[in-house]
Amino acid sequence: MSGLLFVSLMSSSFQIDQVTCRFGELRAVNNVSFEIRKGEQVALIGPSGSGKTTLIQLLNTMRVPDEGRLTVLQNEVSVLTPRELRRLRTTLATIPQHLGLVPNLTAIQNVILGQGGRRGALRSLRDLLFPSRADALEIHAILDRVGIEEKLYSRVNRLSGGQQQRVAIARAIFQHPEVLLADEPVSSVDPARARDTVKLLCELSAEHGFTLCVSLHDLALAREFFPRLIGMRRGHIVFDGAPEALSSEDQRALYELSNEEMMVDA
Amino acid sequence: MKAQAGKYGLKRWVVAGLALAFLCCAWSLGLTPAGLVPPDSQHWDRTGEFFRAALNPALDYEDENVPADAEPIWWKGIKGVFLTLKFAFGAMSLAVPTALVLGFLGSSAWWPEPCGGKTRLILRAVYFISRLFMSLIRSIHELIWALLFLSAMGVSPLAGMIALALPFSGTLGKVFSELIDEEARDAAQALKAIGHGPVQIFLVGILPRAMPNLITYSFYRFECALRSSAVLGFVGIETIGLYIELSHEEFYYREVWTYLYLLIAMIVVVDLWGAGIRRRLHTSTGGCAI
Repeated sequence: MSGLLFVSLMSSSFQIDQVTCRFGELRAVNNVSFEIRKGEQVALIGPSGSGKTTLIQLLNTMRVPDEGRLTVLQNEVSVLTPRELRRLRTTLATIPQHLGLVPNLTAIQNVILGQGGRRGALRSLRDLLFPSRADALEIHAILDRVGIEEKLYSRVNRLSGGQQQRVAIARAIFQHPEVLLADEPVSSVDPARARDTVKLLCELSAEHGFTLCVSLHDLALAREFFPRLIGMRRGHIVFDGAPEALSSEDQRALYELSNEEMMVDA
Repeated sequence: MKAQAGKYGLKRWVVAGLALAFLCCAWSLGLTPAGLVPPDSQHWDRTGEFFRAALNPALDYEDENVPADAEPIWWKGIKGVFLTLKFAFGAMSLAVPTALVLGFLGSSAWWPEPCGGKTRLILRAVYFISRLFMSLIRSIHELIWALLFLSAMGVSPLAGMIALALPFSGTLGKVFSELIDEEARDAAQALKAIGHGPVQIFLVGILPRAMPNLITYSFYRFECALRSSAVLGFVGIETIGLYIELSHEEFYYREVWTYLYLLIAMIVVVDLWGAGIRRRLHTSTGGCAI
């Protein structure tokens, strides 16, 4: 039995057990339990305000659960020291909704910071000023893969929104993560580009073997590319399964406004 | 409506109060409009002479005791301008790194979060001590610092440079810390999420982002340092101010204007250069799409 448990732990990226995260009175994530296994590709779906962003912040350990147990890559988060937490974060790539790039640095400088967590302050400073040839070659290859290799030395604030998004993805890839978490990565780009971006993330996850967890408000995109959907509504999980299993009733439960919410909206 | 009327009423009282305060100051200092007019014919003559000299700056020394083989006055003036530049540049070279360290210590942008208990107490102490130190060194004007240093170290270029660098470190450091604290933190949060430490986030995530503003402000302070460095001449440090002071004492107004024109020319050139840098820095940061 314990052997089985061990195997299950080894092969899971996240184990969430009755986790709750509160902001004052509001339970942004409310008594949630699920497991994400290594290499899985999962889309978090649900309307805005359903708790997706908070859940992402729990998974990348930037928030600690108020209740319940959260295990990330075999580490129980609540018992880690700040140093251990930082070491764990170097293996978790996060693309925040607003990308979190340094606008007046170049693409290569932003991407090289992906390894900064492992390399420390002085090495990072040196990387910014004098990137090594090996790093420059690797970053060039990554930018080539995401389709903006000619932007290697362009300053990020001179790139378009879509190109900046590619730089953020490249930074995550250069980090060589075990998990890639992306919070609404396509909320600020047009539908055609959104589809390309989600496709690219899924392909990269398959190529590099990292676990992928993306929050999306676009249900069609989530259904097209992800083998597993986790649907959230007001901090609860209301659906967890394959896209084929998502019935129209589930969709109503996810997206339809209750009378009470309509009153609030009005 | 009533509240609005009340607000305007308050404004009226503030303006009236300021005007009254001015009148009190003027009265207690004995200021009268008559003070604008030179009191006697001797002063009238001197004023007239001074402004006439503006149209006719000296191309040769007015002092007849200057030996014939001395360097020409325009060359002396240009050398004086470069001495002024050297002082200002030297002082800024000392002040900017000092201000960066003080600005870092006096900023809360790099504090780890969450941070509680002892760490927070220490960080707050560091924050307040560095802020206090910055306000102490900048509350004394560079001229007063210069007088203090000159009496301690004698008339030496180093004394002048330190006198200039000290209050400038204080002002630069205060503004640096505020610029750094105002910078958006989204990149900092993103770097924290992938394992960067607090000081590292400051160095690679916050400082580069604040850099255009820091450079713009440093350049502005460099322009101020030029003016201050010229003024240091009046307490005996060899800059263009010293030449102005010496010629002025001897009533060689045409020489004064030669030096003044050279000083103005340099300030205009540096201002134009600074405006060019500001334009370049700010068009390139303005284009951020996110």
